Amino acid sequence: MKVMKLNSGVKTIAIMIYITLMINCSYKPIPTAEVNFLTGKDGTITMRAIGVGTNIDDATNDAENNAINVLLFRGLPGSDQKVALIGTNEAEEKNKHPEYFNNLYKGKRYKTFVMSSIPTTDLIKHKGGKKSIAVDIKVNVAALRKDLEQNNIIRKFGF
Amino acid sequence: MRYLTLLLLPSFSCFLNFAICQNPSTNSAGQVITVQPKIMAIPYTKEGEDLRTILEADENKRIALTKVKEGFDSRGFTTVDFVAKLKAAKDNNIFTSENQSDIKSQIIDMSGADVYVQSEVIVEKGQSGNSVKLILTAYEASTGNSLSNKVGESGKFYTDDFNKLASKAVENCIEDFLNTIQEKFSDIVNNGKSIIIDISFDSNSEYTMSSEIGSEGLLLSDEIEMWMENNAFKNNYHLQGTTDLKMIFDDVRIPLKDQATGNNYNPNKFALEMHKFFRGLGLQISRNIKGSTIYLTIK
Repeated sequence: MKVMKLNSGVKTIAIMIYITLMINCSYKPIPTAEVNFLTGKDGTITMRAIGVGTNIDDATNDAENNAINVLLFRGLPGSDQKVALIGTNEAEEKNKHPEYFNNLYKGKRYKTFVMSSIPTTDLIKHKGGKKSIAVDIKVNVAALRKDLEQNNIIRKFGF
Repeated sequence: MRYLTLLLLPSFSCFLNFAICQNPSTNSAGQVITVQPKIMAIPYTKEGEDLRTILEADENKRIALTKVKEGFDSRGFTTVDFVAKLKAAKDNNIFTSENQSDIKSQIIDMSGADVYVQSEVIVEKGQSGNSVKLILTAYEASTGNSLSNKVGESGKFYTDDFNKLASKAVENCIEDFLNTIQEKFSDIVNNGKSIIIDISFDSNSEYTMSSEIGSEGLLLSDEIEMWMENNAFKNNYHLQGTTDLKMIFDDVRIPLKDQATGNNYNPNKFALEMHKFFRGLGLQISRNIKGSTIYLTIK
C-alpha cells in the first residue's frame, strides 16, 4: 500500500516537472523592433517589418503591430517620422489611455491605418518552432497622427 | 417686505452677472483654449534686395512659400499670410523700400507673429541635371531662439520645370521640419515660454543697480535676481548681464497657463507681477511690452 502511495507521489512530481518544462519551452513572442524604413511620401511611410507567429496570418499581424509600435513609440530613422509620434515611454502612455490602446492593438484598430501589407519572404522556420516573415507595410501616418490628436493622446500642432 | 425681497433678488443677480461674470454672450462656461503662436512664412532676402520685387518676380519662391504654408495647413494650423500682410502694408504705405531688413522686421512686428519661418530657394543648373535646394529655418521672433532648421533637396533631374523641383524640395523636408518645431513647442508647453526682460533707469532716477534697498539693505540687482529666482517658471532664467544702469535677462521662462487659475498667461501678466514687486520695494517704474520683451524703466 505504501509503495503504491509512493509511486503515485513520484508520478505527480514527474507530471508537474513535465508541465513546468513544457511551459518554459513553449513559444513566447519576444518584442522586436526589426522595422526599417523603405520610402515615404505625402503622409505615408512604407516599412519592412519582421513578424513572428505560428502561421502567415499571425506573423503578418505581428509585423504590422511592430510597424505601428515603432512609429508610435520609437520613431523611424531615415523617414520623416524620426521622432516617436507619442513618446518613448510606452508603458506610461499606455497606462494613461488604456481604452484607446486596447482598441488599437487588441481590437486590431491599427489595421485601419495600414494601407498595404505585402509579404516579401515565405514563412521561415527557426529553432524552437518559431516562424518569421518579412512584410512591406505602408502606413497612413497622417491619419494615424490625426487619430491620436482627436483622441487627445497627443497635442495638435502648436501649444 | 418678503415680496420686496423676492422682487429685488432677480435684479440683484442681474447686477452680479454684469459686475462679476463674463459677458453672457461671450461666456465660455469656464472653458480655456490655449492661445496658439502666430506663425508667418517669409522668403529669404539678401541685404539690399527688395522683398516685394523678389517675391513677385520669382515664382519658385512663391511656390516654396505656398508649399510651406500647405504643410502647416495639413497639420490643422493656420499661418499668418505674408503676401496679404505685405499688400496691406503696401496699401497703407507703411514701408519704404529703402531699408529691406527694416521692412522685414517691421512686417514681423506688425503681423504680431511669434514665430517666423524663413525659406531660401537655391536653384542649381548643371550638365548632369537641374536641382533646387531649400533652406528652411524657424525662429521665435522676439528672442531669436531657433526652433527648426532643415535643408530640402529636390534631387537632380533633366528638367527645366523648377517650379516642380522647388515643390519637391519642400515636400522632402517639411514633415521633418514640422516635427522638430512641434518638439520645441512641447518643450515650451512643459518648460515655459521664453521672454526677455530689460531693466534700466530713467535719466532722472536717483537709483542704480548698486543702490541698497529693501528691509535687508541688499543691492537692487540682488533683490531683482532673488525675485526672478522665485518667479521664473521652474526657476528657469538666464541673466545676460548687469551693469550699474542696466540688467538684462535674455531668457526668462513663463508658463503658458496661469498656475493658479488655469487661464492663459502672457508677458503682460508677468510684467504686472514685476510691477507689484518694485512697488513693494518702494520704487516707481514704467513698463513697455513689445512681443515677448518687457522693458522696465525705474524712475
